[in-house]
Amino acid sequence: MYRVQDEVSLLRASLDGDTGAWGEMISRYKDAVFGLCLGFLRNRADAEDVAHDAFIRAYVNLRRFHLDKRFSTWLFTIAANLCRNRLRYRKNHPVAELPDQIKGGSDPAGDVAREDRQTKVREALGRLPYGYRAPLVLRFYNDLAYQEIAGILSIPEGTVKTRIHRGKAMLKQLMEEGA
Amino acid sequence: MPHDELERILRDTLQREVAESAPRLEGLEERILSDLGERRPRLGLVEWLGQLLAPTRGGRVGQFAIVGATAAAFLLIGLFISGDLLDRVSPPQFELAPAVASGAAPMADEDSVSGDQQVLFVVPAPLNAKTVVVVGDFNHWEETALTDDDHDGIWTATIPLAPGRYEYGFLIDGRWWGEDPRADEHVQSFGEYSSVRYVGRGGDGA
Repeated sequence: MYRVQDEVSLLRASLDGDTGAWGEMISRYKDAVFGLCLGFLRNRADAEDVAHDAFIRAYVNLRRFHLDKRFSTWLFTIAANLCRNRLRYRKNHPVAELPDQIKGGSDPAGDVAREDRQTKVREALGRLPYGYRAPLVLRFYNDLAYQEIAGILSIPEGTVKTRIHRGKAMLKQLMEEGA
Repeated sequence: MPHDELERILRDTLQREVAESAPRLEGLEERILSDLGERRPRLGLVEWLGQLLAPTRGGRVGQFAIVGATAAAFLLIGLFISGDLLDRVSPPQFELAPAVASGAAPMADEDSVSGDQQVLFVVPAPLNAKTVVVVGDFNHWEETALTDDDHDGIWTATIPLAPGRYEYGFLIDGRWWGEDPRADEHVQSFGEYSSVRYVGRGGDGA
């Protein structure tokens, strides 16, 4: 029943305590939020945890969101901040091998050359510093404009452009090193 | 590999990682709603005060007393915090940002303390520049801030570096500047220049 409703109606219903409406918002955004978290964190379990927390926090703090603004930007900002916190935690509490860590991996049924390139991208993304990985994920997974990325990561728009440019160059270099 | 192809592979890879994780996302809505339980969106201060001031059977006098007492409490806390902050104020200290990656996986050995040379980075920036940072191999392309304490437009940072070849560039208010006149050479990649400094082994390093 919520499919036909626009986002603002769903948010208003959520504010009024309609958890079904919030469930619909989760359905609409869970891939985007999980993908952001997975791209940032490179670990499936952490990404699921953080995506879960992001939706809880967004709901509890929903009155802070201005309905005339873009909801996705607000939600992605919450998720990005939680990812940064999780990375800080991982840095201070290192473990030898995290479960569910994204590695190369390949699909035997897939095209060999394509598989090889995707494996290299996965490995290279894991080695790319967070400051460069995050803008790349927001740009190429979430399809966001530079201005939105700047707002989410709290950095100037020029820095976003530079980091995406440099990030691609570094990614290419890392892929070649892994060749 | 052309730019467009790299972008396409990156896009495909990220989308595929999410598709592969689809089983994890099944039932996420129910799990979140279950964890939320009876929790509802928190009231902001304005809504909270509005509820207190709304006419009810209890009468308004008592509610105004509560609001007054709350306001007084906030005032006292505010005075306490501002006093505490004044006590804490101290002159700013010059400190280089740590030259390590903030990501989970450092790209190279971070231990380069002993035997390092102090390498000076200098940028003549516009007088209205607000931030100048250097990014390069030595800090894993994370930002290390330069400072201009005397506001003459000359921003500097001294970074200890082990002997080796380092590619780097500067960001002046977020804009790339890769042609450092103090560099030993310049290299071009992806249509823009980066600087290269050789530390030790014949490079000036300072």
